[in-house]
Parts: sequence; structure tokens; C-alpha cells
Amino acid sequence: MRPASFGYHKATDLAHALALLAEFGDDGRPLAGGQSLVPMMNLRLARPAHLVDINALPLTAIERRGDVLHVGALVRHHRYLSDPLIAAHFPAFLEAVHWIGHPTIRNHGSIGGSISHADPTAELPAICLLYDATIIASSTGGDRRIAARDFFLGAYVTALQPGEMVTAVEFPIPPAKSTGAFIELGERRGDFAIASVGVALQWSGRQITGAAVVCCGARLVPIRASEVENLLIGRQLDAPDAAAIGRRFANTIEPVSDHSGSSAYRKHLIGELTRRTIERACQQALETA
Amino acid sequence: MTEITLAVNGTAKTVDVEPRRLLADVLRNDFNLSGVHIGCAHGACGCCTVQIDGVPRLSCLTFAVQCENVEITTVESMGGPDATHILQQAFKSEHGLQCGYCTPGFIMTLAPYVDTMLAQRRMPSDEEIREAMSGNICRCTGYHGIVSAVRKAIGDQLGSEAAA
Ligand SMILES: Cc1cc2nc3c(=O)[nH]c(=O)nc-3n(C[C@H](O)[C@H](O)[C@H](O)COP(=O)(O)OP(=O)(O)OC[C@H]3O[C@@H](n4cnc5c(N)ncnc54)[C@H](O)[C@@H]3O)c2cc1C
Repeated sequence: MRPASFGYHKATDLAHALALLAEFGDDGRPLAGGQSLVPMMNLRLARPAHLVDINALPLTAIERRGDVLHVGALVRHHRYLSDPLIAAHFPAFLEAVHWIGHPTIRNHGSIGGSISHADPTAELPAICLLYDATIIASSTGGDRRIAARDFFLGAYVTALQPGEMVTAVEFPIPPAKSTGAFIELGERRGDFAIASVGVALQWSGRQITGAAVVCCGARLVPIRASEVENLLIGRQLDAPDAAAIGRRFANTIEPVSDHSGSSAYRKHLIGELTRRTIERACQQALETA
Repeated sequence: MTEITLAVNGTAKTVDVEPRRLLADVLRNDFNLSGVHIGCAHGACGCCTVQIDGVPRLSCLTFAVQCENVEITTVESMGGPDATHILQQAFKSEHGLQCGYCTPGFIMTLAPYVDTMLAQRRMPSDEEIREAMSGNICRCTGYHGIVSAVRKAIGDQLGSEAAA
């Protein structure tokens, strides 16, 4: 199918984009990589009256600013794969990016688009939650700083208001001794996941001193597994007892059944992915220790 | 309607389009470039891949009005009617196609990949090749012939450079 008619507006700078978004309100939408919006428009699942093309805006930096990593809204997914700051400080982020779609999709899809689209099992929303990112939402009224845990409200629903757009995402740089992993399962390579788990660990000696765990597929938004995090702290890197932790976590969730799997299947899968991801992160910690 | 000038395969032409028109449709209908094949029209199959400034892009997820001031290339620019490009030749000899519907998309996705490997003077693993073409679907070949074609295109060039 083909999209319904819309007005096309190419924003020349941020002020222009925000003025256009303020003018159109609910009827306007930013157009970034188009890798989610255009399929939705082609299928007539979305019919925005106005598109504000933001691709010319200079929101493309990945850079350290004090103790945070600043990522501009228009950073394309493939950039992380060769970025030294991502590799050095955010290993679970780096692993997650390999699971996003295909090379052609990663060349054009942007972080602002991915988190605003908020697919329930998209990788970058999960990574924002895992690393306690802050999302900067800008409008003609100024900037709002929204914690990732307050940003994702439901499947394809975020805290963004009409007239607002994401301009950047800030990731606090983790302490020196930290590592992480991200594993998912989909029907085919490059598909959206059925479920995924991301883990970020800190340690001292051989003991885990800090843990963050994120899971997609348990609910219609990514969730932090705080019970798993608490269980991990104090355990030894070479004996995290990940299988038992995975089973315990699986017993606390009630995933929905859908075309890609029953609730029971997802529970089992998430327990298993939790085990594998914890073990992988611990292994990486031991290798760097 | 919006008047836009597109540079396609080295030639600029001005056309009048509605903003909602996909680059894929404009290339096929207004530029008569029927090598741009449309499979799914929502980004899932890779058939309509073209290059924008040398980078593969799905022309079904791109509006033509977005494409002023860039260089668009389609499969027609590659090896002409005789398909003389090294990758096209390798697709032929390695049975990288059968019905041919997906082939332009594969060629446009993989030609820059072959160039990158040649610049790095490196033969990728089969797994890397499969990852590079993972956004393109072929229902005939089972992909083995396509992987061999990529290996052959890279191998022949690396070999002839080594011999020279
Ligand atoms: C075949 C295929 C496979 C894919 N597989 C995956 C996958 O495995 N994992 C995954 O995560 N993604 C996947 N994607 C989606 C891809 O990652 C998208 O790029 C991403 O979800 C959206 O980014 P975009 O820049 O293309 O946004 P667009 O499509 O341009 O926009 C998406 C939405 O966000 C809004 N928007 C865009 N930018 C902003 C902004 N700065 N502020 C506010 N709102 C904004 C738009 O108005 C729209 O509502 C896939 C896509 C395809 C076609």
C-alpha cells in the first residue's frame, strides 16, 4: 500500500523544527530515518497530516560531556558499532546494536526515532532503561529532562507531548570496573525480538557490587528486573547461580500470549535468556579482571 | 504537488510529485527505471534497495521529496544491459539468482560491501557475508549461490591484484 497525503516540511535548524512542531501539534510528526514511520504510513497504520523532516539538523554527536555520554537524537544505529566510547563504557549497548534490524536499517534509523517509536522489544529503549539514561525533550517552551524509567509508558506510547521532540539522550558513564551483555531471541535474524535481556555489572575483586538488568518481552514496555539485580549483588563472578536467578525471575512475570509465543513459552525463554546473559556478563568481567 | 530535481544515475531531471510518493515509485514511473523492484513496500524484503550517495537505502521507506541534492543510483547504473559489473558476473557464474526479482536489491546492497572488503584487502567469512545481506530476502536460491558470488567477486579481484 501507499501512504495517505501529507504536507512535507524540511526543517533547516532546530528552532525551525520546533516552531513547525508547535504549529502542527497533534497533526505533525518528526521524520527521522523513516525506518519505522514510513512502514506504518505505507500500511496506513499512521496518517500524520504533516511531516517535519529533521534530517538536516546537527543532532549527530556522540561525545563525552563531563560524566555523561551525550548522544544526539539523529545518531544512526551503525555509528555505535565503531565508536570507542560505546565500546569502552557501554558493552551491553554495543552488543544490543548488533541485534537491531539489518545493515541498511542501521545506516538510517536514529536513536530519537527508535525511542519515540517505542516498539515493545526495540533494543535502544531497553538500553536507555538499563543504563539509567535521561531523555532530553525539546519544544518551543524549552527543554524537559525525562528519566528513561518515566519515558516508556506503553507499546508505542511515550511521555512526549505534541510539539515536543527528542534532541538528545544522556547516558551516565558507568564506573571503571563494569561490563555488560545483551542477548535476544527473534524468529529470524534482524527481526524484532520475542524477548531480550540486558545486564550491566560492576565488581570488586571477584564479587559483584552493582547490577542492572533489563528485560523486553515480559510486558509491553521494557522493564528493570530489580529482584534479579538484588540477588546478583554480593555473588561471585565465577558462581553467580544464574540458572536459579533466571527461574526465579521468570516466576515473577506474566507475559502476554501472542502470535510469536504463548505466555508460558515467553516465561521460560526469559528465564533462560536471563541465565545466559548473566553468565556472559560474568565471563566478560572475569576476562577483564 | 512539489517540484523537485533528482540526480539519478548521473543525470538530473525535474519532476512534479506529491510528497507522499515513495522514491521507489518515482524511480520506476517518472524515471522509467524498472530495475527498482518493489516487493513488500514496507521495508522487510530489501528488493527496492538503491544507493543514496553510495549508501544502500530502501527506496520504499524514502519519500522522493527528501532526495534533492543527493546522488541516487539504481541497478541500471551498474553494468548496463550486459551486466558487466564484477558482482553481476559473479551472480551469473555462481547461480546467485533464479527468478531475478530480488537481484537488483542484492546487487545494490552488496556492491558497496564488496568495495569495502576490497579496500580492506580482506575476504570476509560466510557469516559476515550473510550478515551484510541479511536485509534482503531471496525465495529461490537458498542464499548459498549469493554467498559464493560475493566470495568470487572479492576473491577474483584480490587474486588479480596479487598477480599484478
Ligand atoms: C526490516 C526492519 C527491521 C527492523 N528491525 C528492528 C529491530 O530489530 N530493532 C529495532 O529497534 N528497530 C528495528 N527496526 C526499526 C528501526 O530501528 C528504526 O530505525 C527505528 O525504530 C526508528 O528510527 P527512525 O530514525 O527510522 O525513525 P522514524 O521512522 O523516522 O520515526 C519513528 C517515530 O518516531 C518519531 N520521531 C523520529 N525522530 C524523533 C525525535 N527526534 N523526536 C520525537 N519523535 C521522533 C516519528 O515521528 C515516528 O513517530 C527495523 C526496521 C525495519 C524496516
